[in-house]
Amino acid sequence: MKLNHYEKDGIAILEPKGKIMGGPDATLLHDQLHEFIEKGKKKVVVDMAQVEWMNSTGLGILISGLTTLRNNQGELKLANVTGKIQSLLTITKLITVFEAFDSVEEAVKSF
Amino acid sequence: MKKPTIVGNTISIPSSQDFLVDVDSFLEGKLRGFGVDDSMVADIAISVTEIVNNAIVHGNKSDPGKAVTIEVSKDNGAVLITISDEGNGFDPGSVQSPIDENNLMREVGRGIFIVRSLMDDVVFEIRRGKGTSVTITKKL
Repeated sequence: MKLNHYEKDGIAILEPKGKIMGGPDATLLHDQLHEFIEKGKKKVVVDMAQVEWMNSTGLGILISGLTTLRNNQGELKLANVTGKIQSLLTITKLITVFEAFDSVEEAVKSF
Repeated sequence: MKKPTIVGNTISIPSSQDFLVDVDSFLEGKLRGFGVDDSMVADIAISVTEIVNNAIVHGNKSDPGKAVTIEVSKDNGAVLITISDEGNGFDPGSVQSPIDENNLMREVGRGIFIVRSLMDDVVFEIRRGKGTSVTITKKL
């Protein structure tokens, strides 16, 4: 997995790319999310467009980020959730936990 | 054991998640050789990485001296994959339902639930003190 990030209208955007399966990849995503929180960036969008698939490790990292942000009066939202990830979110009922948008622009505007 | 070893349809890795990419790469090559389509390759890879993560963390307790072995085969129109560890045995029945409302925000505990959802069959063979083998089956 590769990980890019940038800011749009004051919102931190994370762009993971590839597969999120555990190990060093997962640590990268976890650390970046928590670096945002430490820097006071409490509104985060994770752009899932280029995530091929993820397993429960990836889901756990998103939950961890969401919980930590909410505990700090922030929020984590998802954008461009693809078919494979969408079905995982549905199977695990996490679709009821995350706010998901069709584009990064829509997610940013929703804050 | 310091690095993955591949013999035929079997890969063995030390108990470190650093080697998950090696498992994924090996598995994808074998599955494509069996003619498995992209969507099913992803479902199987998600499932195998779940079981391998459990084998590394819960089975072998991340002891790099212990191996996790993954064997892939195709039989009667189905792909069978057996993942074995060298730990003390893992009880899948001890895992709480991750879709219970009280557990939805937990960061862990979804792996086996996801595997059961994506695969056609999941069989645990728990040998106390001699490791756990999990065989997953996906019909093609």
